[in-house]
Amino acid sequence: MSANKKTQQLARQLFKLSLVDGHISAERVTGVLGYVEKIKPAHPLAVLKIYQRLVATELAKSQAIVEHAGAVSDSLLQTIAASMTKKYGRAIAASTRANPKLLAGLRVRVGDDVYESSISAQLSTLAATAAN
Amino acid sequence: MLTSLFLATVEAHGAVAGASEPGPLESIQHTLDSLGFEWHYIVFQGISFLILFGVLYKFFIKPTIAAMEERQQKVESGLKYAADMKAQLASSQQETATLIKNAQLEANKIIEESRKTAKDFADKIQKESSERANDQFAKAQQAIELEHKKMLADARSEIARLVVTTAERVLAKKLTEADRASYNETAAKELSAV
Repeated sequence: MSANKKTQQLARQLFKLSLVDGHISAERVTGVLGYVEKIKPAHPLAVLKIYQRLVATELAKSQAIVEHAGAVSDSLLQTIAASMTKKYGRAIAASTRANPKLLAGLRVRVGDDVYESSISAQLSTLAATAAN
Repeated sequence: MLTSLFLATVEAHGAVAGASEPGPLESIQHTLDSLGFEWHYIVFQGISFLILFGVLYKFFIKPTIAAMEERQQKVESGLKYAADMKAQLASSQQETATLIKNAQLEANKIIEESRKTAKDFADKIQKESSERANDQFAKAQQAIELEHKKMLADARSEIARLVVTTAERVLAKKLTEADRASYNETAAKELSAV
């Protein structure tokens, strides 16, 4: 087994140790970091980078980033969060990010999935259809 | 001259015979005597003549005859040679004529074959050129058609881009906050329904 593969395997084991009921636990993450600091495995920097990527991906799965142009009310965010929670079967919190390029409408990112209903997207679709 | 002398002798004898009538031999003897003939002179002259004749024959006549015969042979040989040469010339001319005729036939055949080959080659080249030209024409038509389609697609794409850009600018200016909020609510409902 190569060193790279061993590093990835160790990072995945550490990531699994960080989960409680399928969710990232801050206490577990702290414990994992202490463990790594204490035992100092081979290639610790590479292990921590992979571990960070896995944790960030997992956190992104439980977070819906709502890009918007124009005002978005809290009730609207609640509605979107509830809808995504229901869709993915896990608790998903919504956070906002202004994006004037959308002109009007919303773009929701959950992990690698993107949902969009905006004037910018409709215009892009229109341009693509007209070009073909 | 001898004949006239003999006749004169005979006439003289006739005249004498008419006078005393002696025998014929006697009258001839008498005549010859009257003319001064002596038999031993005649014999000596005959022998001299024969010796002279033999000498002349040996040293002049025989070589002359031999030279004449030799010349005659040379002439005959020359004539024969000329005849042979004439025959050979005729044969050579005939052979030459035959060769020329054969060569002409061969040349005509080669020329005919060359013409045929040249015609075939020209036909082949023309056919290939025609096919190549048709091929190039078809390719050029395809290229023009593709270029035309590409130009239309580019134009359509550019027009669409311009329309979208213009629409974005217009909407960015014209949309109010209320419009955006209303659109956001509609979008939220749409996304919740997904």
